[in-house]
Amino acid sequence: MRIRAATAVLVGATVASTFAQSSSDWTTYSGSFASHRFSPLQQLTPSNAPRLRPAWVYQPPGTGLVEMTPLVVNGVMYVTWGPTAVAALEIKSGRTIWEWTRPIAPSVLNLGFPRVNRGVALLENTVYVGTLDGYLAALDAKSGAERWIVPVGDNPTGHAVTAAPLAVDGKVIVGISGGEAGIRGYLDAFDARTGQQLWRFWTIPSPGEPGSNTWPGDSWVHGGGATWLTGSYDPALKLLYWGTGNPGPDWNGDSRVGDNLYTSSLVALDIETGKLRWHFQFTPHDVHDWDANQIPVLVDAEIAGRPRSLVVMANRNGFFYVLDRRTGEYLRGTPYAKQTWAKGLDERGRPILIPGMEPSEKGTLVYPSLQGATNWASPAYSPATGLLYVPVREMGSVYYKTAVEYRPGTYYTGGSEKRLDEESWGAVRALDLKTGRQVWDFALPSPTWAGVLATAGGLVFSGSNEGNFFALDAATGKPLWQFQTGGAIRSGPMSFAIDGRQHVAVAAGRAIFVFAVDDRS
Amino acid sequence: MRRLVAAPALSIAIALLGSTAGAQFDRRLSAAGTSDLAAGRRIFDAQCAWCHGANGTGGTGPGLQRPTLGHAANDAALVQIVRNGIPGTEMPSFAIALTDRMAWQTAAYVRSLGRVRPGPQPGDPQRGAALYESSGCASCHVVKGRGGPLGPELTRVGALRGAPYLRDALVTPAAAHPPGYLVVRAVKADGSEIRGVRVNEDVFWILIRDGGGVVHTLEKSTLAKVERELEASLMPSYASRLSGAELDDLVAYLASLRGER
Repeated sequence: MRIRAATAVLVGATVASTFAQSSSDWTTYSGSFASHRFSPLQQLTPSNAPRLRPAWVYQPPGTGLVEMTPLVVNGVMYVTWGPTAVAALEIKSGRTIWEWTRPIAPSVLNLGFPRVNRGVALLENTVYVGTLDGYLAALDAKSGAERWIVPVGDNPTGHAVTAAPLAVDGKVIVGISGGEAGIRGYLDAFDARTGQQLWRFWTIPSPGEPGSNTWPGDSWVHGGGATWLTGSYDPALKLLYWGTGNPGPDWNGDSRVGDNLYTSSLVALDIETGKLRWHFQFTPHDVHDWDANQIPVLVDAEIAGRPRSLVVMANRNGFFYVLDRRTGEYLRGTPYAKQTWAKGLDERGRPILIPGMEPSEKGTLVYPSLQGATNWASPAYSPATGLLYVPVREMGSVYYKTAVEYRPGTYYTGGSEKRLDEESWGAVRALDLKTGRQVWDFALPSPTWAGVLATAGGLVFSGSNEGNFFALDAATGKPLWQFQTGGAIRSGPMSFAIDGRQHVAVAAGRAIFVFAVDDRS
Repeated sequence: MRRLVAAPALSIAIALLGSTAGAQFDRRLSAAGTSDLAAGRRIFDAQCAWCHGANGTGGTGPGLQRPTLGHAANDAALVQIVRNGIPGTEMPSFAIALTDRMAWQTAAYVRSLGRVRPGPQPGDPQRGAALYESSGCASCHVVKGRGGPLGPELTRVGALRGAPYLRDALVTPAAAHPPGYLVVRAVKADGSEIRGVRVNEDVFWILIRDGGGVVHTLEKSTLAKVERELEASLMPSYASRLSGAELDDLVAYLASLRGER
């Protein structure tokens, strides 16, 4: 099994640049282009994890939400908070080198998501960040000075950029938010140096294009398919993998009878042209808001006795999918959480629906809830254990369907949910990539919003809504250490080294905590 | 572009309203016609009645058969509450679910409920107050700063809950326990048990207030079992302790507790 680390690609022609990556850094949202959220650092182990202690804490100014994954390169940590602000922190002291804030008026729309920013991308000497009002900004990594800022989406009609961009091959790939506002989704690529737009992939085909026959009339115009979470990249295949969001309107599908391609799907795009190579739709004609905006994890493994290049995803709809990432061929799909809407998946991975599970005027109880069996919180994959560690939400909802009309800059959803809060719970769940089976489960008091980090030292880190940040044994799920941060964890943990000493960082509440083993104790 | 998905035939008519659409939903709620009220009622029955009761008789949420509503001094405030909820209360936002038109129709229906003359309420609040004292309610509930912490504070309970809910809570407390009062049972390694209201819980710890009011801090790893009793309440049923007329009196007293406004 081979880990497709970002190192070779990033270093390439830019050895002398600020962002020549070493294994002690964390250079992209999910840790690598393969999105394993796996640290190759081996210093932290089950035996010394109980001695982890806070090294420093950073509390961003203001009141904005903190839901990002920090990046660390060459002794500097780049953090963000909502609605749109970035800081560069010196990693030994935790003190600020520079800070950049985009002024965001209260009138800036965030329809269907909080006023968040989930992180930056780094390439050469530049920091790339999306803005809530719909722009992509390029900042000088040393000073925070704005080099350029270009429009990505029109905010008055509900577009915003909340996801961390992905910087690859001299390009910056940016997804768009706005799936509850009736946008027509897309994914954009910009020239990393100039900010010039290179291509745009529309997630909803226009009339005459392949897939357009899955949209009656003009329903495609407000068809949704937002791209609001960072995707993955295979440098060998030169393919981008990106999840797409719900069709619009969310819960009333009457106006859009058909599969509604390419919503609630995974798309594989040619990095040079943005052209669609293949797609796989997890939830055809989705009426439960089950976005496929989860992290596509790229893994090479043997499936049914044959070595395969895979892309795997624990989807919001409750199934864990394994696909061939060269072709999009469906190889396996297994439920990993309680679901009551499908009897199973057919031989091509299409759900076999249980009748009567659509939202209704009087309400329909369905598992998983609107927020899904998992959501944007990142999974982790450890090549050492062969396990995918998934943040799981065990919860049902009563789904309502209402009438809906499109008005620019307002909700275009056609329904709502009533969550079954008290009967819900969460978990970090380890799934065997080879079989899809659950290997262990670590229960949490409520459905989690915390991402998961795996490390080569045999640890899995995650958090809880109740403020716990904890380390588990990657092989068994046994808890080894925990720290009560005092604030809900809605972010992805990551790991880096300072002078050869491994650290772990996570945002909790409105603060960023950095931990290391206390050698003095 | 404007489109009404549920009724495509109307889309042309709607389009003619053009940019005046916002103003259309600023109209007085009393101007709503039969069809608007019927539409509002359908939305209310599906989305609001599970708290406010069918016809707004009250339930987990307050009754709405009142000519004036505490949080909605005027029509605009009522439409705003239907859309965005009341922060700091159990009234959620429906901004995602309801269009401007639907919020206006729902608010118009709610206003029409205020014109319903409620039937005479049984029970005498003064006799109910005496029963509250003699039944020992204050050992677990606070009213105006006096009482115990085991159950929810009742100082404003008449403004927060409807009479049918209050009666249910006395007769079958387990079916009506409010959020934040989950009953849990922790079994220690030696087999001993602590049962009470969950005060707090994280991944590794649980804090339980037992029937005597003592808060126990328990590390989960030391426990054999932690059970959430979703259908349980620490409050005893008063169905057999009080007569039907006495229950009416107690409900009337609780309904009169509307806070010091």
